[in-house]
Amino acid sequence: MSLGGAEAAVAARSTPSRTRRRPDPLFALGVAIVAVAVLLALIGPEIAPYDPTQATLFYNEPPPPLAEWPGLLRATLAGELPQPPHWFGTDASGFDVFSRVIAAPRIDLAIALAANVLSLGVGVLLGLVAGYYTNWATALLMRASDVMQSFPVFISAMILVALAGRATGNIVLALCLLYTPIYIRLTRAEVLTQRKRGFVEAARAMGSTELRCALVHVLPNSLAPALIQSSVTIGFAILLTAGLSFVGAGVRPPTPEWGLMISTGANQIILGEWWPSVFPGIAISLTVFGFAVLGNALERRYDGN
Amino acid sequence: MTGTEPVLEARGLSVSYPGAPVLRGLNLAVRRREIVGLMGDAASGKSTAALALMGLARAPGTIDAGEVLFDGRNLLALPEAELRAIRGRDLAIVVQNPRAALNPMTRVGRQIAAVWRAHREGTGGEAAARAVEMLRRVGINDPERRASAFAHELSGGMAQRALIAMALAAEPRLLIADEPTSGLDVTIQAQVLDDLARSVAEAGTAALIVTQDLGVVANYCDRVAVLHDGVIVEDRPVADFFRAPEHPYSREVLRLQRAATGARLAPADTVTEETLVEVRGLSKAFPIRGSDKVVQAVDGADLIVRRGETLGLVGESGSGKTTVGRTLLRLEAPTAGEVRFRGEDVTAARGGALRALRRSMQIVFQDPYDSVNPRWTVERIVAEPLALHTRLSAAARRARAAELLEMVGLSPDLLGRRPRGLGSGALQRIAIARALAAEPEFLVLDEPTSVLAPTAVNGLIELLRRLQAELGLAYLFISHDLTTVKFLCHRVAVMYLGEIVELGSVRQVFERPAHPYAQSLLAAHLEPDPVQRGRPRTPLEGEIPSPVDLPTGCRLASRCPHAEPACAAARQALTPMPDGRLVRCRRVAEGEISAEEVAA
Repeated sequence: MSLGGAEAAVAARSTPSRTRRRPDPLFALGVAIVAVAVLLALIGPEIAPYDPTQATLFYNEPPPPLAEWPGLLRATLAGELPQPPHWFGTDASGFDVFSRVIAAPRIDLAIALAANVLSLGVGVLLGLVAGYYTNWATALLMRASDVMQSFPVFISAMILVALAGRATGNIVLALCLLYTPIYIRLTRAEVLTQRKRGFVEAARAMGSTELRCALVHVLPNSLAPALIQSSVTIGFAILLTAGLSFVGAGVRPPTPEWGLMISTGANQIILGEWWPSVFPGIAISLTVFGFAVLGNALERRYDGN
Repeated sequence: MTGTEPVLEARGLSVSYPGAPVLRGLNLAVRRREIVGLMGDAASGKSTAALALMGLARAPGTIDAGEVLFDGRNLLALPEAELRAIRGRDLAIVVQNPRAALNPMTRVGRQIAAVWRAHREGTGGEAAARAVEMLRRVGINDPERRASAFAHELSGGMAQRALIAMALAAEPRLLIADEPTSGLDVTIQAQVLDDLARSVAEAGTAALIVTQDLGVVANYCDRVAVLHDGVIVEDRPVADFFRAPEHPYSREVLRLQRAATGARLAPADTVTEETLVEVRGLSKAFPIRGSDKVVQAVDGADLIVRRGETLGLVGESGSGKTTVGRTLLRLEAPTAGEVRFRGEDVTAARGGALRALRRSMQIVFQDPYDSVNPRWTVERIVAEPLALHTRLSAAARRARAAELLEMVGLSPDLLGRRPRGLGSGALQRIAIARALAAEPEFLVLDEPTSVLAPTAVNGLIELLRRLQAELGLAYLFISHDLTTVKFLCHRVAVMYLGEIVELGSVRQVFERPAHPYAQSLLAAHLEPDPVQRGRPRTPLEGEIPSPVDLPTGCRLASRCPHAEPACAAARQALTPMPDGRLVRCRRVAEGEISAEEVAA
């Protein structure tokens, strides 16, 4: 080897890599909220103090005043109470609101996640095809997704569920149809730039097949926008699921579901019985906020690279 | 020039970005009637220095220490309002990207007039007249019409000249030009720099040119300052600098130039008689969307590359040289013509046969950052062809990747790294290692040095020569940098608007170019050698015509100093000359124009 170490050192000299990232409090908050939501989806119904679909003997019982909570909590943990307190009160049917609020993520998150995973998968694949091959078929696909996106989201979902029936699977399907065009569009835009990158050309010049170029080089480098979008979309999917239940196009009562709870509680707000609606409302807000914040933080990290 | 008071003097100037000092006590003076070149590697802080001399720092950078003396006053201590009055009036800057620096919404003439009116007394009419005069002075033809043009209506060269006109409008005493010609083609570059030098000389002012280009320094500067590690390591008259550079960095920068101007052309002992690549009548036209017109990128190119030989392909941007390289490897399908590799027809190959052919012909792209997958490790990048074409085990691939890295002068320790954080020189070597992995016989090198720092360019060219000697590779070397072409190539083809206009040995084309375009291209090339400065130029008039509506006859006819009416009538043929070279010019073929002596 005729090359001295000095030349190799010059050639390999690297620009100093970015120093450690500063901790991002918003990111941490997003992660925490999402983690709690996921945990509740996994074990919520099991740890709920009451059966979320079984009526208790108390109707419209208000939650205990905040000042009593520490004492009640201590008593509950010590097992001194004959039965657990109704932290968030009970609703008009006698259901324990707290139990229903923590049992609901299993339904809400499952619908949102399933819809999101499905539409992400389908959308990314179609986006890859649409970005890779620009012909009349993919042009048609893009126009079709334009049409899908031009309908008001909520009305479309309502009509879809009304036509197909109020089964959970149909709600997932409706959300999928709404979100897939977003992923197609995002992925296609990224694929359009990535497929012209030098390393894709290089792979082709090396004798790589078009399919391999698309799957090995273009796809992994085109995923980021869709993945970042998905955390925002999950949040909105939760909101939409709740919204559908609220207008009676979602899951059937007495399934513990936030939108349904707000809906059934709404009639009583005028009587001053705010708790059956407000607590699930707070739960939805927090969860959507958590996913949105997480998405923003991910996007910032991605852009910073 | 010594003894003259400096126009501007920086003493101990320090600038830092959070956590990283860029300039560490810069000392630099520019005197009246002097053009100073500021050289340095990429990211050496040249642009930071240019801004700091005007008392500016790009956020989040800050000027930490030192002084900039102008008229005996320290600019850095002046109140902002006084500093603003000095900027533009006495100190002007021309930045790198001319189009981004012009306001797209305002006519060029108004922008120039605005600078003048901001600093001088005068009516609007006077300012407008002044703007036209400035445009004329920087060599823009038809300045009255150009003054009412918007930025997007100007070509890159014209936009750069308009920017220089704007900078000179208020008659500054010092003009700072940050890489004023880095995006321009050589013939345009020479015109712009000639105009700049003349304007400075006529007004009796001074200029500081920030550049990485030795040719610019050698031909236009009186003095050169070399910036390295945040300080000026060498500051001397240009002739002294090129004759005997003192600092190790300067010597490294000048190494290739010194070798190239000597007798050390590429050794011919690797060249064989065996034809490896043969191209016949190759044409490529790109349709324009929404129109039935086409861009004729390549039009009937014929060339051969022999085993062990380097064929250089030179020409300005838009001449079609990159398209030739890409069509050779079938990265583009040709519109017409054929490419044969070892006698096999590449243009007709499909599917598996094409993939098998591609194992033997490889390409290295211009931008090393773009040509490696950012998510992959160096090992996976280099071993990609092995994964495609061989059945080697993972361990065997790893061993071979390490071997390849050593072959291109990199440490095998890099195998586990990812591209992020590696320098452009190292990445380009990785791209070469990858190209070599499947043991090709032919490499297309598409401007592999254009984004590299001067020192990295030298190393890369030497590497390519060594690899050719060791492996018997044939190269098609596409470049607009004539210095590297001269050093690396055996034969050269000159392209203009999709046609090869001259093809001959490096010595023939570089020393006595025959075609009028080759002559002006070579003449416009700024030889990095102050001794050859001031040699006569035959500049081409105007700019390159659009490749959409090509002239029917000779494509150079509208710009050629030797053109006759007959030239524009019929397309010219590539004609063999008695000395063996090929020239596409009827007047040269008939002996009416003789080859022109370019360099001693």
